[in-house]
Amino acid sequence: MRHGIGQSVRRPDGPAKVNGAFRYAGDLRVPGMLHGRTLRSPHPRARIVRIDTAAARRLPGVAAVVTAADVPGVATYGLIVADQPVFAAAEARYAGEPVAAVAAIDAATARRALAAIEVDYEPLPAGTDPTRVLDPDAPALHPTGNLYREIDIRHGGIWADGPVAVEDTYRVGMQDQAFLAPEAALVIPAADGGVDLMVATQWLHSDREQVAACLGLPEELVRLTLAGVGGAFGGREDITLQIHGALLARSAQAPIRIAYDRVESFLGHPPRPPARMWFRHTATRAGELVSVRARLVFDGGAYTSSSPAVLANAVTHAAGPYRVAHARLHGVAVRTNNPPCGAMRGFGVPQVTIGHEAQMDRLADALGLDPVELRVRNAVRPGDVLPTGQVLAGPLPARELLHLVAARPLPPPPAAGSELSLPGGLPAGADVRRVRRGIGYALGYKNLLFSEGMDDSAMARVRLDLDEDGSPRVRVHSACAEVGQGFVTVAGQIARTELGVEQVVLAPADTSVGSAGSTSASRQTWMSGGAVRGACVAVADRLLARVARAAGLPARVVEMPRHSLRIVAGEIVGAEAGLRIGLADALSHGPVEAEFTFHHRRTTALDAAGQGDPHVAFAAAAHRAVVDVDLDLGLVRVVSMALAQDCGTVLNPLALRGQVEGGTAQGLGLAVMEELVTDGGRVVNPTFHDYLLPTAADVPELDFVAVTEPQPDAPYGVKGVGETPTCTATPAIVAAIRAAVGRDLRSVPVRPRDLVDLSPSGAVGPAPSGADGPAAGGATPR
Amino acid sequence: MLAAAHESGAAVALLSGGTDLVPALRSGERVADAVVALRRVLELRVRGAGADSLTIGAGVTYADLVGWSLSPGLARAARVVGSVQIRNTGTVGGALGSVRPAGDLLTYLTAADAEVLTASPRGTRWRPLGQFLAEGVEADGLVTAVRLARPGGPQVHVKIGGRQAAYPAIVSCAVVVDRVRHRVACAIGGVGRLPARMGGAESFAVDEVDWTTGTIPVQAARRFGDLVVEAVAGISPVLPVGPGESADYRCHAAGVLASRALARCLHPQATRATQPATTTELATDAQPGTARPSDPTAGPGAAGRGGGS
Repeated sequence: MRHGIGQSVRRPDGPAKVNGAFRYAGDLRVPGMLHGRTLRSPHPRARIVRIDTAAARRLPGVAAVVTAADVPGVATYGLIVADQPVFAAAEARYAGEPVAAVAAIDAATARRALAAIEVDYEPLPAGTDPTRVLDPDAPALHPTGNLYREIDIRHGGIWADGPVAVEDTYRVGMQDQAFLAPEAALVIPAADGGVDLMVATQWLHSDREQVAACLGLPEELVRLTLAGVGGAFGGREDITLQIHGALLARSAQAPIRIAYDRVESFLGHPPRPPARMWFRHTATRAGELVSVRARLVFDGGAYTSSSPAVLANAVTHAAGPYRVAHARLHGVAVRTNNPPCGAMRGFGVPQVTIGHEAQMDRLADALGLDPVELRVRNAVRPGDVLPTGQVLAGPLPARELLHLVAARPLPPPPAAGSELSLPGGLPAGADVRRVRRGIGYALGYKNLLFSEGMDDSAMARVRLDLDEDGSPRVRVHSACAEVGQGFVTVAGQIARTELGVEQVVLAPADTSVGSAGSTSASRQTWMSGGAVRGACVAVADRLLARVARAAGLPARVVEMPRHSLRIVAGEIVGAEAGLRIGLADALSHGPVEAEFTFHHRRTTALDAAGQGDPHVAFAAAAHRAVVDVDLDLGLVRVVSMALAQDCGTVLNPLALRGQVEGGTAQGLGLAVMEELVTDGGRVVNPTFHDYLLPTAADVPELDFVAVTEPQPDAPYGVKGVGETPTCTATPAIVAAIRAAVGRDLRSVPVRPRDLVDLSPSGAVGPAPSGADGPAAGGATPR
Repeated sequence: MLAAAHESGAAVALLSGGTDLVPALRSGERVADAVVALRRVLELRVRGAGADSLTIGAGVTYADLVGWSLSPGLARAARVVGSVQIRNTGTVGGALGSVRPAGDLLTYLTAADAEVLTASPRGTRWRPLGQFLAEGVEADGLVTAVRLARPGGPQVHVKIGGRQAAYPAIVSCAVVVDRVRHRVACAIGGVGRLPARMGGAESFAVDEVDWTTGTIPVQAARRFGDLVVEAVAGISPVLPVGPGESADYRCHAAGVLASRALARCLHPQATRATQPATTTELATDAQPGTARPSDPTAGPGAAGRGGGS
């Protein structure tokens, strides 16, 4: 089938995105709309003594001012626990927490109105150190306490340690999703007392549930349509401006455009939680892993968001994709007065992969083993028991990935003459003789879909009919949020393959169809892809049964039409029955429609010892990074990235490549530059001037190999592919830097200051022995 | 016009490239009743060369300067400002008007002893860059041009930041050598509110240079970097430390950059007594400001070769 599954079909929205015609949420305008803006607390923790909005309301051009007092329904919302106030009422718990919102005739008036709102804050001592907020004498930062969740996994019999041990503490900074199109929505009050939202989000139905609860409206009066999304990466899972916009629209009885600028975007959505992680690995002298201990502290910030689920991922993956007889994996997610943290690509796994992979390299050092060899020896295989007691099912070709990635050709050594290709680029004037090369590896795995017993599902509706010209056409209706991952492409491929019809149109994603679940957890191709496939199969069954009945075929054919009839190239063919009828003719009697709800296999929650069958499935990846480091300046250039990934069946090679390249780039960002820095709870770098993202000049072309063993219980054998490479890219780069400079690195992102000798004696041009001449090529992973 | 605006009490913003002003207006950081665009004031967009000096109009963009052979150091500094879009619109006058500590051009202009021409209803006047930066532009004034001496030797501008692509500089360094007047100038940006001249290191270098060949001993290039570190450490207040940086790293990096920049200008020699035959060729071959990729900087390789002297 042309443009069916397995082919590099291009995105239907690609041309519009490239030529600027695509309408992102922030591009939406309607006549008469007002502009919404949010007032945020400047204090990480403060009692709100008084809010006076009278002066703001009196300003000409101001149509509405809303605060906590104007929330008619539930005062709080949240993905897992509804503990985040729509507006801070008595106490603000992070710098950037919304306190009020205004609607005005233009953005400048709205800004003036914010300035006219008087808020008396009484600053309180803020708890911003995640390692201290559980101390017995630490004040409770919220009535429900400072602990979001604690997980303690105990695996193995009588505790045993191997004779070779390595242990250390690692820190991972707060990475922002930094999607390029900031949060935006257009909210229109409806005549029926409800409200219509056009919003860039990751999960329309979850938004609807939370918006309706806070507005005190039945869900059917809150209708959402997905507006153009410019990136998400987990940062649009939580509610940001949806409820504020709806309150303003209902208060002003006018359409509201509410949109964040870059600074507000950084403050508005929960980033990846920073982590402090202690690990102790032991092994036999032969290099067999004996035990892994981990203690993790994840800073969840001021409100719960996804923290409990993120922590479960982190702790259950903390030992990595390695066989280990004994494991004690303990983690807490805690409340602080830092910005709320939540979901981001990888969802707790990137942090622990950084930790366990640093440990594996140090273990290899301690054992005198090659780091790839150590990983190969200990990599899990299907049938192994994971620390949770879960038996690893399905394909997980970890060793094959390592062999593949290690065999990729290496780049040429650094050369004089092209400053662009040296660390720091054109301006830095790197000295090629002071550039040292390093190579690093990382292996990781990541769970797919929702975990811990959640009966997650996705629904899709498919209709097969004739277009105006009488040609067959498939219409797919799903609430799946297209955030760039390519569901709009894959849904069309599936429908073409299943129904043999080339013309597929996608209805706008909205809440008039059942929930597709969240576009996260590497789940939509599997879940909503499965729903589209199921609905297509049901449509085919109904049509074939109708045709069989009309043709007077026997009842057994009508009941099981697929056994005798097939749709091939626009025709319904029954060889046995001698039937051949054009699809258009078959559809002239009316369209056929079906819905399908897809469920994945059931999992179980973790028990008190952290045991269970928590994850639906896993996918693995192995990265090899090659870096050059200017030894005097500590500048790093990532020279090459190779990736071997466990992808299941590939539905679209082009889209797959887009996902793994993006995942690698985001992992690179975390390795060497991306961190939201807080000082006493306040974000100090909420701009793209100070929060640097990797660009095309920073990300080398990816040398990518896919391993395509089908996942047995997934539609077509697919695996989610977007998150896994993010988990392994960072530790591979950190390992390569470590190999280049010969220092253990405990903090990510790695900064230039971590790589140079800042002692007075090392002021200019430290002289490590044996560094004479170009250091390239001779580098060995250590 | 400026006078009229000033007298009317209206807030008038002058727009040159707009790379600083437009974001400031959009965020509400600056408010203006009127914006006067200077893009079509052609007098501001010219650059020219006299017998001893170069004059650059305030409306000249970074992109205009990138290929300017008469001032290779300035061309090099302009080449690494921002992205190509910023270079196409940002101007010399804007760099002086907004005075951001990370402004790349300022570091070079500080090393080059630039003078700034401003115009106001009371006439025009030239001021040394330092004085201009201290005093600023009058409320009814306008930066119209910058004047530099014609290069009399090699010039190098280097900077470091957080990635390979365009970045705001953490530390920048410009070294300007004048072989005719036997002068070495070095400015470091990113370690104080404004770029600072490294007077002590400059004097040291002047004494160490072999002005016949235009070279300097390897050890002197190292020492130059050490002197810069010492000088920078004494600058107070050091800039607020940004994410992922530290004051001691800035000092350290300033020394490395200064040492390397000087080495690019003055091709360090292992020893004066045993100059290789290529020295003269190297010296005459060196175009002012062109970076030489292989120079024996203060690295252990160079130190090793110089060890016996």
